[in-house]
Amino acid sequence: MRFDAAEGPISLFENLDLSIDAGDSWAILGTSGSGKSTLLGLLAGLDLPSAGRVLLSGEDLTALNEDERAARRQGRVGFVFQAFHLLSGLTALENVMLPLELAGQPQAAARARETLERVGLAARVRHYPSQLSGGEQQRVALARAFIAAPAVLFADEPTGNLDHKTGEQVIDLLFDLNRQHGTTLILVTHDQSVADRCQHVRYLRDGVLREEAV
Amino acid sequence: MLALRLLYRDWRGGELRLLAMAVVIAVAAVTGVAWLAERVSAATELRAADLLAADRAVEYSQPIPADWVERAQTAGLRTAQIAVFPTVVLAGDENRLVSAKAVNSTYPLRGELRIKPEPGHPEIIPDSIPESGTAWVESRLLGLLGVSVGESISLGALEFEVAAVISLEPDRGDGFASLAPRVMFNQTDLEATELLGPGSRVRHKLLLAGPLEALDGLTSALVAEFGNDIEIETPTDERQGAAEVVEQAKRFLGLAALLTVIVAGVAVLLTVRHYAERQITSVAVMRAIGASRQRILGLFVGKLLWLGVFAGAFGAAIGFGLHVAMLALVADLLGARLPPPSWRPLATGWVTAGVALLGFALPTLSRLRDVPPMRVLRRDLGDNLLRAGLPLAVAAVVILGLMGWQARDPLVAITVFGAVGVTLLVLTAVASGVVFGVRALTRRGGTGRLLWLTGLTRRPMTAIIQIVAIGVGLMSLFLLAVVRNDLLTAWQAEIPPDAPNQFLINIQPEQVDGVRQTLADADISTVFYPMVRARLLAMNGESVAADDFDSAQARRLTRRDFNLSWTSTLADDNRVVAGRWWGEGSSEGSSETPTDSPTDSDRPQLSVETGFAEEVGIELGDTLTFGSGGAEVTAEVTNLRDVRWESFNVNFFVLGSPGTFDPFPQTWLTSFHLADTHNSGTLLNTLVRNYPSVTIIDVSSVLRIVRTIIDQGSRVVELMALLTLLAGVLVLLAALQITGEERRFESALLRALGASGTRIRRMARWEFWLVGAIAGALAGLAATTAGLVVAEVLFSLEYPLRPMTLVIGAGVGLLTVWVAGGLGARRYYRSSPMQLLREG
Repeated sequence: MRFDAAEGPISLFENLDLSIDAGDSWAILGTSGSGKSTLLGLLAGLDLPSAGRVLLSGEDLTALNEDERAARRQGRVGFVFQAFHLLSGLTALENVMLPLELAGQPQAAARARETLERVGLAARVRHYPSQLSGGEQQRVALARAFIAAPAVLFADEPTGNLDHKTGEQVIDLLFDLNRQHGTTLILVTHDQSVADRCQHVRYLRDGVLREEAV
Repeated sequence: MLALRLLYRDWRGGELRLLAMAVVIAVAAVTGVAWLAERVSAATELRAADLLAADRAVEYSQPIPADWVERAQTAGLRTAQIAVFPTVVLAGDENRLVSAKAVNSTYPLRGELRIKPEPGHPEIIPDSIPESGTAWVESRLLGLLGVSVGESISLGALEFEVAAVISLEPDRGDGFASLAPRVMFNQTDLEATELLGPGSRVRHKLLLAGPLEALDGLTSALVAEFGNDIEIETPTDERQGAAEVVEQAKRFLGLAALLTVIVAGVAVLLTVRHYAERQITSVAVMRAIGASRQRILGLFVGKLLWLGVFAGAFGAAIGFGLHVAMLALVADLLGARLPPPSWRPLATGWVTAGVALLGFALPTLSRLRDVPPMRVLRRDLGDNLLRAGLPLAVAAVVILGLMGWQARDPLVAITVFGAVGVTLLVLTAVASGVVFGVRALTRRGGTGRLLWLTGLTRRPMTAIIQIVAIGVGLMSLFLLAVVRNDLLTAWQAEIPPDAPNQFLINIQPEQVDGVRQTLADADISTVFYPMVRARLLAMNGESVAADDFDSAQARRLTRRDFNLSWTSTLADDNRVVAGRWWGEGSSEGSSETPTDSPTDSDRPQLSVETGFAEEVGIELGDTLTFGSGGAEVTAEVTNLRDVRWESFNVNFFVLGSPGTFDPFPQTWLTSFHLADTHNSGTLLNTLVRNYPSVTIIDVSSVLRIVRTIIDQGSRVVELMALLTLLAGVLVLLAALQITGEERRFESALLRALGASGTRIRRMARWEFWLVGAIAGALAGLAATTAGLVVAEVLFSLEYPLRPMTLVIGAGVGLLTVWVAGGLGARRYYRSSPMQLLREG
């Protein structure tokens, strides 16, 4: 799998062949700059490889244009980011409502409130991201990721910006929700303890995915 | 509806306030002018027939013959008669030039005359005209003369009791042109006033109303019989005249409003860029969770449209208030009842808001649809998405389009666009020179000592944008407030101190000696000029009609009688530039030895002023035919003259050689300088009492009236300039918003390094002072340069160069930016060093 960067084509992944079954949880471990996030973006269809293919539910994402890929992502794919990426001008509730609103689904507010309750933020629905702690923000992000009941959840270093204890709480919640929804989880992290909670763990190094840490 | 919800959320977060304010100001400027123009135009349209107080008017230089009235009545037409002329009214020691109007009992035929029994009382529609011996006057005359209703005024040989105040006169029509206040009285008193003599400047009118066919029949017959001696006026003529003035004012104000739109547009461009930068990550998240590019674009277009709906309505509300204020400023000049406002300008407001947002904001926001969704994982992606090139190009096209819309003339639009563009370029160039000059200075001098200067130079591009925007606003304000005044002063300074300020016209030949003696008794010796009033009938044997001419001025000149005189010698302020003066051998005028040849000087010859010749298309060697009271004179144009009009001496467009105009009835006129002493009124009153038919024109009071009108008119434009300045302040705030994060970071960093809050605030203050002072001084300089160019190039006036304009400009700029900037940036300087650490 080759990848086009601003500096020119980079051959980031060699002979990368990965097949993920529905409902499985996968962790991809790697050091900074090993290409974990890039791989996640390619798997989610956010970007395209210059060579190779990515199939989601049997459909070749590389044969689709950006808008068609967006349409495939809508309602089927959720994200949790290291930097949370909550919209600062929106309250917790509105951030969680957003995926449903974009998909034109009804009852967005009621469902968002319900989801926030499930992540323990019933009392924080009217708060803005800047009024929430890091752990609370990531829980809002989890609520936003799960509200549309996605088939696949991509998580990019979900505990990267959190202290150890808060990170653990968030990961507990993530796996809980994952279990409840039967979601396929693909999680990128550099934290072995987080990775260990997944059914499958792969190590990314020098563009090669390995089953064992080297 | 999602777009509306998202807009509400953005608004709540304070993201779009400046953007909305910029749109509100732009809409307020455009709708204010739209409402003003609409109501004044509609008043003109509505009053089309009223403007004549009739369906047709026949104007004649002599009293209307009785058989015309009979013929009209036989044809089934209603008639009325009026006579309008300038004269002087007396009350005690006060005298004023007025426009007198004698009316008969059937006046008006169309429209309504309204009066008030006393100023301030409710108005009534009178069921008759003023009774004999009484007069109705415009209320301002009462103030000018110091009389009240019930007191007496003298009009010629007759005393009138002021019985009421005129509040609405249908055929006052020429509200902008007619300066003298109205005195209306009963036509049966006209003769007894002894105001009318042969050749006097009275316009007798027969007003007609009734079936179109009868109107056309009678007026055609009268034209066939009396040709150019009569003039037929139709409501359309009157409407066209008034509409032309309104149209010009509308265009000018429309373009003035556009300046506000342009500056507000810059604020939109800046704020929307800032907003777009802050939206990149949000859009990336939306795209990652499945929003298509089309969906993103639709959301932003939707947001802008909703914002346009609200900002347009709010701006239009302010524009409505603005137009009420503008109407109040020119109420005296309009003097007419205005129709109620319509809803149409509200639509104009929405269109303006839509154009401003879609033209200035959408090109930037539409780039957001290309935010790569991968940005959610890689923060460096999409950073260079918001290039300024396309939005600037689209904005330029939109501005050009708006100018075309307001000017209704592509050439005018392109010219104004070019002028605005060049002004902006020059301002930008000078502002850049100053900012980069200061930067060079601080680098050489070391930032330690000149730290106070670095606020300006740390962000040079932002400083330049702020200086130019505030500069444009201040410049338009200074142009109106300072330069206009300077121009008028310069013009008045050109008038020699002893230039004639009193003109006596309409002196009958038998009165010349008496008037001369009266003046001599007051130690005034003056020259008397003969004058005839005649109409240009033909050029080179071909008859002339007003409609033959393209220029309004030429049409006006050829439609009415104008003043002709004759002389054997050329006055000092006249110079022959083509052909030769009668009795002289060459075109060099008085410098040559006269070669008097009897055959040359005896034949009728004409001398035409160059400007008039150009306007009407008269060339050397052309023959002109003039007619008055049935007599005709044809003569050849043997020379063209330049006239120094600013001498304020009596001068004529067309002069004849002695004897040329003998067939016409003549009057005399003279002019003299009357020092403003307590005796001056007495002399004028003596003249008015002894020679009631002589009309005295007090030029200084006419000048005062002209100045008042210019002042009132420019106050309307000043309101627009204030809006432009307000838009400039928004640009300042928008630039502050863009640099806000940077300022917050700098402030926290400086504090962490040990700078006190006072010191940080002082640095910011210096930055605002410098931006304001530079912008103000530049505006002062630009306005003065514009004044200088206008004065010297257009009017050949000595313009007073006042360096204080720059200093005052700098002061006003400094204050404006200090207050606005200080308030806008306050929050950025409150950051603590801890915040810096927390936010990384």
